[in-house]
Amino acid sequence: MPDWQELVRQRLSGLALDAAEKDEIHAELAAHLEESYELFCAEGLPQREAVQRTLLQVADWQDLQRKILIARRREQPMQKRVHQLWIPGFLTLTLSMIFLITLQKLGFQPRIVGRGPNTILFYAPWMASLPFFGALGAYLSARRGGLLGTVLLTSVFPVLALTAAFLLMFPIGFVVERVIGRPVDFSIVATAILRDGVGWLLVPGVALLAGGFLVHLLFNRRSWSKETAVG
Amino acid sequence: MVGTGIKRGTAELAILSVLEGGAMHGYEMARRIEQQTKGALRFTLAALYPMLYRMEQHGWIRGAWETSSNGRRKRCYRLTPAGRKKLSPLRREWADLFRALQRLTKVAHA
Repeated sequence: MPDWQELVRQRLSGLALDAAEKDEIHAELAAHLEESYELFCAEGLPQREAVQRTLLQVADWQDLQRKILIARRREQPMQKRVHQLWIPGFLTLTLSMIFLITLQKLGFQPRIVGRGPNTILFYAPWMASLPFFGALGAYLSARRGGLLGTVLLTSVFPVLALTAAFLLMFPIGFVVERVIGRPVDFSIVATAILRDGVGWLLVPGVALLAGGFLVHLLFNRRSWSKETAVG
Repeated sequence: MVGTGIKRGTAELAILSVLEGGAMHGYEMARRIEQQTKGALRFTLAALYPMLYRMEQHGWIRGAWETSSNGRRKRCYRLTPAGRKKLSPLRREWADLFRALQRLTKVAHA
């Protein structure tokens, strides 16, 4: 009878798991092969044929090794968050900002809506690109197993970062104005919040979310058809 | 014989269903599924274990080493509460799918 344990150990030697886990897997698969072999022998097959029939259970050991690795790869909650939210989120933010800066450098003028202090600036080509950036972030998050909330959060990540920047900017500005002794006009602050909130947060947020939501729908449909393997 | 694609989709349901009857190790599970489906579903080692490990990661099943009556150590799998919870909607989904396919094929042959 072959040494099944040794056979499995040799064929799955590249299993990149810790030693104890690897030994456990080797032992479990060896036990399976051994039982399978014993059954073939009990059915009256000659030893040589029983070995061959047993080994037919694994057509490609490299492929099995890869599948086991994927299945056993554990992601810590922190790692998960990094892969599902932070990396795709920051990538979406960086790319969308690079695109905006490039547009400005190329001389694209913002579209002006409103008059005087209520003026809202819209970079139309940037706005038009946002669903794509939102979709990209959502796709990267969904690919790493992000759930609906995480996927949508990733797609609107650039707007979240801008919101954080605005939230920091106003109190800092308020303190600075107090320090330099200039009276703070709250109506100007409120107008600025409203104006920038619409132009930089609300509308871009909706555009990003639209892209993210579309990817979520497509991804869901794809995983459903993959799971059921129909169509 | 059922096609490979459908088999892949039904694998989780098959494993959860056999484990509902009690704990068992991988080889026994593969045999049980093959017997109960009269050979329509057949799990080779290469198909079974990646699936079991993935389901274990999801927390639907839990494996533990046990020593059998003949002194052999085997890793036995049990259904967890999460696995039990997963089973009924999964059954429903598949039942719906098969009913839909049945309706469709009836219409196609009418």
